Amino acid sequence: MLPFIDEILRYDSLSIVGLEKNTGKTECLKYVLDHMPVQKKRIAVTSIGIDGETVDQVTRTQKPEIVLREGMYFGTSEMHYRQRRLVSELIDVSDETTSLGRVVTAKALTTGKILLSGPSSSVSLRRWMGDMRRLGIDLVIIDGALSRMSSASPAVSQSMILATGAAYSANMTTLVNKTAHVVELVNLDLTSQENVKRLLHLDKGVWFIDKQGALHDLDAVTSLSRDIHFEGMENCETLYVAGALVDGFLEKVRKNKVLKQVELVVRDFTKIFVSPQQFRLFLKAGGRVTVLQKSRLIAVTVNPTSPSGYVLDSDTLCGQLSETIGLPVYDLLKNKH
Amino acid sequence: MQLKNVIESPCGLRFMLDELELQSGFARRWLLDSPMMTRDEEIVASYAELRRFADFVNQVDHIYINTLFHKLCGLKDIRTTIKNLKQSSVLDDIELFEVKHLAILSVDVRQLLAQHGMDGIVDIPALDRVIDILDPDGMKIATFYIYDSYCAQLKDLRVQMRQHPDQQDDLLLQASELEEGVRRDLSRQLAPFAESIEQAQLALARTDVGLAKAVQMRTMGLTFPVISPDGTSRYEAMFHPQVKSALAARGRAFQPVDVTFGMEPTLITGANMGGKTVVLKTLTLCQLLFQFGFGIPAASAQIAVKDEIYFCIGDEQSVEKGLSSFAAEMKNIDAVIKASRKNKKLMALIDEPARTTNPTEGAALVTALLSVLAGKDVSLVMTTHYDIEPGDARCLRVKGFENGTMDYRLVEVQDGEVPHEALNIAQSLGIDSEWINLARQRLEASPALEKNKH
Repeated sequence: MLPFIDEILRYDSLSIVGLEKNTGKTECLKYVLDHMPVQKKRIAVTSIGIDGETVDQVTRTQKPEIVLREGMYFGTSEMHYRQRRLVSELIDVSDETTSLGRVVTAKALTTGKILLSGPSSSVSLRRWMGDMRRLGIDLVIIDGALSRMSSASPAVSQSMILATGAAYSANMTTLVNKTAHVVELVNLDLTSQENVKRLLHLDKGVWFIDKQGALHDLDAVTSLSRDIHFEGMENCETLYVAGALVDGFLEKVRKNKVLKQVELVVRDFTKIFVSPQQFRLFLKAGGRVTVLQKSRLIAVTVNPTSPSGYVLDSDTLCGQLSETIGLPVYDLLKNKH
Repeated sequence: MQLKNVIESPCGLRFMLDELELQSGFARRWLLDSPMMTRDEEIVASYAELRRFADFVNQVDHIYINTLFHKLCGLKDIRTTIKNLKQSSVLDDIELFEVKHLAILSVDVRQLLAQHGMDGIVDIPALDRVIDILDPDGMKIATFYIYDSYCAQLKDLRVQMRQHPDQQDDLLLQASELEEGVRRDLSRQLAPFAESIEQAQLALARTDVGLAKAVQMRTMGLTFPVISPDGTSRYEAMFHPQVKSALAARGRAFQPVDVTFGMEPTLITGANMGGKTVVLKTLTLCQLLFQFGFGIPAASAQIAVKDEIYFCIGDEQSVEKGLSSFAAEMKNIDAVIKASRKNKKLMALIDEPARTTNPTEGAALVTALLSVLAGKDVSLVMTTHYDIEPGDARCLRVKGFENGTMDYRLVEVQDGEVPHEALNIAQSLGIDSEWINLARQRLEASPALEKNKH
């Protein structure tokens, strides 16, 4: 049984993100790579190696080595390319420099180990993915950053896998609820096609569409602005926040008599920075949150073991989480044995 | 002086560079590092080269030009690698890749240019031998690794690696020693080509810059200048591309200006908003573009070569330096006077000197500046609002405000008398009428207006 591999192959990009260190993100990446049909598909792998912020820089623990199979393409830094333990053919050296040197793209000619540290920002990651498409790559797999969702943004990758586990919370109920909140955000409904067409090009500010369909600018730079006023909005049907959505703004909308049942549109789930409580209250008051772009959440994986040694029961955890989020949940380590 | 030292000049040079469609970052760096040309021969040679690029761009199909542009995008800065090669270091895989990439690129660009008989524009050394060294299987693609065909033993080891993944670490260790031997050998073979590789990199940057300048000439409507034989610069229908483009964005047209100036000081007077400062900016811009080998924004241009170019425009940046605007301006002009005593050909463009002080002392300073610089080898163009004695200076005047519109053309006048149009212009701007009328009453009561009436 190979869960979700076929599903992955339907998309041109996959981002694997972990909610916390030691939630099994690397295990998940290994599992995916081990099961990719390299004879049939051209696969490229990289990591979003946030400049200087990579885990190894902070905790002094090395990022784990990944085993690449013959025929796979990969993007990593010059430094890690020099430390590779496989035979590979150099295809490109980028102009962009990360803290570990330029990003090198190569093709594995033997199976072997490599440390992944790729482009350092979403923008350069997207550029790299464009290069891969021009090379005829079918699927780009991104080892996402910890507790940062940017690489899983639908603007970057079409699909994602979320890794969670006891390291995120050792209390099963809390773990299930916190994970369910993230999943809920990822799975928010798309707004209407018409709204997408009208709003997608607006990359900053706060806007609203009235019942007659006219678009208005609220003249606020972001939803963080303190001086946002909702005057003259009795006619408001859709409210659009182009940047980050934060607690204060959501609360203000909820407490506004006119707006509390509004459709609130955000660009995508990575722009939502609200607490589960505020989010819940907003929905309860009758509001709705939708997105302009959506990535496909393929699976949720769990690691029931926390680094402190605490172990949750794998079956119960998978069962409870799966029931709450309505998606299959896998413990890849357990399934292996 | 290098281009990067004057790029932020308030004359608007940066706009020209930002609008230059360079394909590679290396070409941009090379251009910014290029020195200002001060000898006639090098300027002539540089425009001869640009003319060939311009002909090429105008005659050849754009699809073909785009192919060339696409190729030049791949030009990388590999100076460190070349330096290592020159010092007989052993290059690593990434460096060998860079050398191969550059060699293939230069051969491709050479061929593309040769197809149109343009291979002589810049001399790109033939690096076919370098490609042969780094492409033992004759694949002609710009990828690289230590190929199996370099070493039979290495090939065997790699076969074993694929068959026995469990022994990978041990096999890799053995292979890495062999690979290092191959790298040493390749580096030794490549070392004699270090100079040619370096030349090829520069030639490609020059091609990139030449093409970009040629395309810019076409899109902006720039002209080829000729060198003035007599120290006098003559421009017909000169324009400022940045101002022109800003006006066009608002649906307005730029009115081109004819200017001639030379060894005698030139004084420009004219109403407020008459474009005097724009004239000075454009003259400075044209002079810099000329001495860095760009197309010139004019219908025709005959330009005198200068050793140094000074553009003094009031209080720019004075606040950051902690100087008052007056102090900053005085120091800038002082630099011109000091340089004028050093037997160099100078060009100095000074916008409303001493504008921030009282008119009595201001006019005295300006008159004195004219006499100090007269007779020196300085092409001086200066604007002012002060009524001063022009002495030997030539006087130009902006035609000015007529029938509600501004005529920006320059006309030669006999004296430097300044127009008194400030109140009319202010009125046309819709400035508070109480203020303007009161000012008018005061003028009518004073002898200054009487003077203007005659």
